Parts: sequence; structure tokens; C-alpha cells
Amino acid sequence: MVKKKCVAMLLAGGKGSRLNSLTKDLAKPAVPFGGKYRIIDFTLSNCTNSGIDTVGVLTQYQPLILNSYIGIGSAWDLDRRNGGVTVLPPYSESSEVKWYTGTASAIYQNINYLQQYDPEYVLILSGDHIYKMNYDLMLDHHIDKDADATISVIEVPWHEASRFGIMNTNEQLDILEFEEKPSEPKNNLASMGIYIFKWSVLNQMLERDNQNPHSDHDFGKDIIPMMLNEKMKLVAYPFSGYWKDVGTVQSLWEANMDLLEEQCELNLFDYDWRIYSVNPNHPPQYISPNAEVKQSLINEGCTIEGDVSKSVLFQGVTIGSGSFISESVVMPNAIIGRNVLIERAIVPSNTNIPDGTIIRASEGEKDVILVSQEMLQGV
Amino acid sequence: MNNHLLGVIDATTYHEGLDELTIHRSLAAVPFAGRYRLIDFILSNMVNSGIESVAIFPKYQYRSLMDHLGSGKNWDLNRKRDGLFFFPSPMLDSPNNGIGSFNHFAANIDYFYRSSQDYALIANCFTIFNMDFTPVLERHIRAGCDITTINKDGQPLEIYLVKKSLLINMILSRGETGYSCISDIVSDIHHPYTLCTYEYTGAAVMVDSVQTYFHASMDLLNPPIWKDLFLIEQPIFTKVKDEPPTRYLNGCSVQNSIVANGCQIEGKVENSIISRGVKIGKNTIIKNCIVMQKCEIQEGCVLDSVILDKDVKVEKGTHLSGTETSPFVVRKGTVQGALMNS
Repeated sequence: MVKKKCVAMLLAGGKGSRLNSLTKDLAKPAVPFGGKYRIIDFTLSNCTNSGIDTVGVLTQYQPLILNSYIGIGSAWDLDRRNGGVTVLPPYSESSEVKWYTGTASAIYQNINYLQQYDPEYVLILSGDHIYKMNYDLMLDHHIDKDADATISVIEVPWHEASRFGIMNTNEQLDILEFEEKPSEPKNNLASMGIYIFKWSVLNQMLERDNQNPHSDHDFGKDIIPMMLNEKMKLVAYPFSGYWKDVGTVQSLWEANMDLLEEQCELNLFDYDWRIYSVNPNHPPQYISPNAEVKQSLINEGCTIEGDVSKSVLFQGVTIGSGSFISESVVMPNAIIGRNVLIERAIVPSNTNIPDGTIIRASEGEKDVILVSQEMLQGV
Repeated sequence: MNNHLLGVIDATTYHEGLDELTIHRSLAAVPFAGRYRLIDFILSNMVNSGIESVAIFPKYQYRSLMDHLGSGKNWDLNRKRDGLFFFPSPMLDSPNNGIGSFNHFAANIDYFYRSSQDYALIANCFTIFNMDFTPVLERHIRAGCDITTINKDGQPLEIYLVKKSLLINMILSRGETGYSCISDIVSDIHHPYTLCTYEYTGAAVMVDSVQTYFHASMDLLNPPIWKDLFLIEQPIFTKVKDEPPTRYLNGCSVQNSIVANGCQIEGKVENSIISRGVKIGKNTIIKNCIVMQKCEIQEGCVLDSVILDKDVKVEKGTHLSGTETSPFVVRKGTVQGALMNS
């Protein structure tokens, strides 16, 4: 194998249980987002755009769709002769099946994969977030500071800081302390779950962590505190820009709605930093003579005969005549009949909504509705 | 049965009536329906009919065609066995002879010798239709035909099915017979072959002038024609682009139109075909137009019955109009200013 400077390990095994039925048969990184993408497209595209051409994708929970979606990585230009994308599921050894019990154990069990490339640096990513980031700049920072580990951080509003893993740093942004969801945060720099390690250091740490029977084998809980204890050099890399964890139905909906803002912070139309995805082959969208479309994002293969406003429509969606869809996210190949009213809802893939259905929250209700088959049968 | 058919696409045709759109590109690569090129229809039909080996015989300006087709991956034709073949014409100045030039085939006769398929489908590159050729081949064999031509409403679509060994004979004996192409044979009433016709009943248009191009495009807005062309089980494939979904901004109004991905629309669009990556500014009105890839139409423009070729920029406040019978064509990459056409 050709030696690589930096290899990325993308943790994509998350269950995303707060996304309810959206992740019943689907790993969270494969959840549709933004009219044509899946969440993992952002991280994989960031890798390609940052010049990182070797990416191990660790899958575990409901991997079927995710695995076939990633394929050989050609959608992200990651089908490479040397490196490229490799899907790394848990595997069994002669004695036992080794499930990934924590983020660190997932990497530990794939030490062989990393060793073939003998990288100088390892970039740890998660496939759960929506953001655009140049990892190459972070790597430069890591090398400049000669750090053992660099952790990407983002400023969060103080009142929300207790929901995040918070990095307490000095003025030079050296990390002094890490607190997971502190009740009284001392800082508002949240970890984005993006780490760069010197491979030689990480390799040692993983070996030692694996020996520790009390460890949860988690980067945030175990590996980072262990390195801080030993006074290793950990630095924070400040990131500014759009970054969103779409871990709940509400936040997934909000992130989709963010795309409809006039001045959207997450620019999908930036040709210098394209977000790649597997392109299903659909004809262009057809907007009928009586349709009305306002402030929306609509993908190919849609047929619109009704009114759509402030909504995100994925490929192959049909909206019947006389229907009104507003502030909603309609996922691939959903068929919405005639005279349907949908407000503030997420309609999952392949849902068939009968004529005349009304879906909207009752007065005063703030939560977004996740449409389900049971709900439609009840109507 | 399927893999017995070889696909041959004659992409040498040049129609004077389409000059405006074919100065920079081969006819086969003329954009259509917002995200396709003319060749996508015949090529996808071949692939959907189970054809695994397709030879393309191009002549003029085929750079854009090669760029579009690449390795054939988007049509699943990047195969180890068979796949997509290119045979550009070695004879640039010889006149154009109609579909299926034997001289052009003769220069690449090895392709016909080496392929394992027993039958060949020879087709033009400018017909817009969605057709399964399997029944044509079945009938050709059952009825013992030498040549089958496919017709639409009694008119030939310039698509021929012929046994490969017979085709090779035709190519080799072109000197003695005087036939220079398949269409020569078919149009000669004294030809010695058993000629069959196969009537195709779906929507089909041969694009040979700006008028037919314009009409065929506007016909896409007719839902039955649209449904005939874009069948879910027989998709028309094309080169994929990583465009984001189309963004409809506040204040826009879009009616009776076909819109591809990657557009940003703030103005008013009616009865039009909008291709990938087009920007339409505020207070602009676009009616009965075909707007190709990456055009930018700034604020306050009025366009009626206009074809904008790729990469055209229309500056603020410009008014352009043509008529249904004679649409105004703006050439690729040009800039239209408000004062230029007043």
C-alpha cells in the first residue's frame, strides 16, 4: 500500500433514535436531507473537497441502505486505485463477534485498516452533521501546533452550552479540560466530534484504552480525558460557519428550513465546494399550469399540480391538484393526492397520502409532525 | 435474444436548419428537455432494449459529444465485455450520404467482424422517442425480413434493423451495388431485399430544424407526451451533474414549465423549458422560451419565444422576442444587452 499522509475514519454506525421512525430501517447518516442529499454526503464531500482520498466508513446499525448508497464511492470521486472509500462493518474473529461498543472501539477494531496506509495523521469524523469544512486547513493547524490531538470546536450560545461537550481552553486555545454536558459551563466552545490525531499517539492510546475494563471506549469520555491527564498537547481548532446536528425530528426539519432562507449560511450553490451525492436519474420537475411554488427547494422528478410554499421536496415527489404544502419536508417518492393540506410536517420516503387528508398541528402546538402510516390510517 | 442486437448510431448528420444550435456541437449533442442531449434518447432506448454494445459514428464537432458520453458509465456501457465504441469519420470532406454510410462503416469493419451479435440496429441520433426494440427484433426474425424499417404514422424514422452478416455484405459490395448507405437501399424500389416495416405508436419526433426543435420542446408541456417519453421502467439516461435542487425564491411565479436542477428563480416563468443551473432575476418574465444550461437572465427582462443556447447572459432590462414559427435564437456564450436589440 502507498503510505498516506492522512486517513479519515468516518463513524456512521449511529442509530439516531431521536429521529423516531425515520431511522427505523435506516442508519442516521443515510437519512435524506436538503431535497437530494443524505446526511453523510456532507462529510464525504468535505473529504473529497479537502483532498482526503482515503476514507474508512464504520457502519453498524441498519447498514443495508447506507452500504449500497456508498458503493465504491464513485459519487464522491472516492473510487480510487490507492485508498478511496472502504466500508468497515464489525466482524467476527475466531473467538467472538466484535461489535463496535464505542467510538474508540470502532477505530481500535480497524487498526489493521489504518496500518496498511501507515498514515502520519488520522482524522476522525462523524456522519451525523450538516456542515461544510476544509479539513486540510485543520490538518495544517494541527501540524503547525505540533499537537498530539486537535479538536474542532464551534462557539455555541451560552444558554445551550450545557447540551454539548465543552472544551475549556487557555487563550492560545490549548485544551485544558473537557466536560461532557456540564451543568455550569465555563466556556462555550463545543466539540464538533471532529478530531485529528498523530497516528503514532492514537495507536498507543487505543491499545491502552482497550486494556481498560472500565472504559466505555469513547473518544469524548475516555481517550481525550486520558490524554489530558498525561499532559499531552491537545489544541482546539475554531470553526465558524453553518454546523448542525440533525439528531432530532425538530432539528432535521429546522435544518431543511434553513436552506430556504434568502441568505442561507449553508450555500448549496457554491461550485467551488460542491456537495456530491448519488444522482438518481429522474426527468426535470414539471410544474403544471395551476401550480404555485414559493420559496422552496425542489428536486428532479417532481410533478407539482398544487401549491407549495416554504418546503423542501425530494426527487420523485408528486403533489396533486388542489393540495397545499407549506413549511414541510417531503422525502423521496412520496405521493400526495388531491386536496391535501400539510403544514409543518416531515413526510417520509414513499409515503402515500390519500386525497383530502389534512395534516397540521393543533392550535398552539409547536412540534413538527412526523407523518406515519399509523397516523394516516387513523385519519 | 436481446444480446443478439448490436447498436449503431449514426451521428454524422448535419441539418442546415439547425445551424444556430450546431455551430459548436454535433447534432447528437444538442441539448433537449432541460437536462438531456438528443443522443440520450436513442442511446437509452438501446440500453433499455438490452443492447450491450453500441458503436457511435460521429463526424462534425464531436468534442461536445465525447465530453457528454465519456466512458458510457451513465448508460451502464463502461463494460469489460462490449460497451461503448467511438468511430469518428476519417473522411471529413466527403459529402454526407444519409443514415448508415457504408464508407464510414467500411473504415471500421473490424467492429462488425469482432462483435458476437447477429443483428444490428442502425439509427440516427436526432429522434426523440422512448421505444423498446425487442419486439422489432422478434418480428424481424419471425417474419424472415432482411431489413426492417421503423415508421411512425407511415413515415420512416430512419432506423433500420438488419442481420449483421447481411450488413457486412452490403458494406463490402458497395462498389458494385452503388448503394452508399442503408437509406439508399430502402429508397430504391428495385432493391433485392425483403423489406419490412414496423409501425411505432408512441410519441416520436425527428429534430431537423429550429422549428421542429422548438415544437418538440413545447410539446413536452403536454402531459401525455411527457408520460410517453419519460417512463419509469424505461428511463432516459444522461450525464449526471451534481447540481443542487432548484431554488424557488420569494416572489417567483412558475407555471406550466419544465425545470431542471440547480436553477435559482426569482422571476416569472410560463410555458418554458429551463435547463440545469439557470438563474432568473427579479421582475423578469420568461414566456414560451427554451433556456439552456447555465444561462443568467438578470432583473427586469422580458423574453418571449426565445431559445437561449448555453451560457448566455441577458443583461438587466433586456427585451427579446421571436414568434412561435420563428423563435429568436441566441448563440452560446453571448451577452445580450438592453440596448443591443432596441
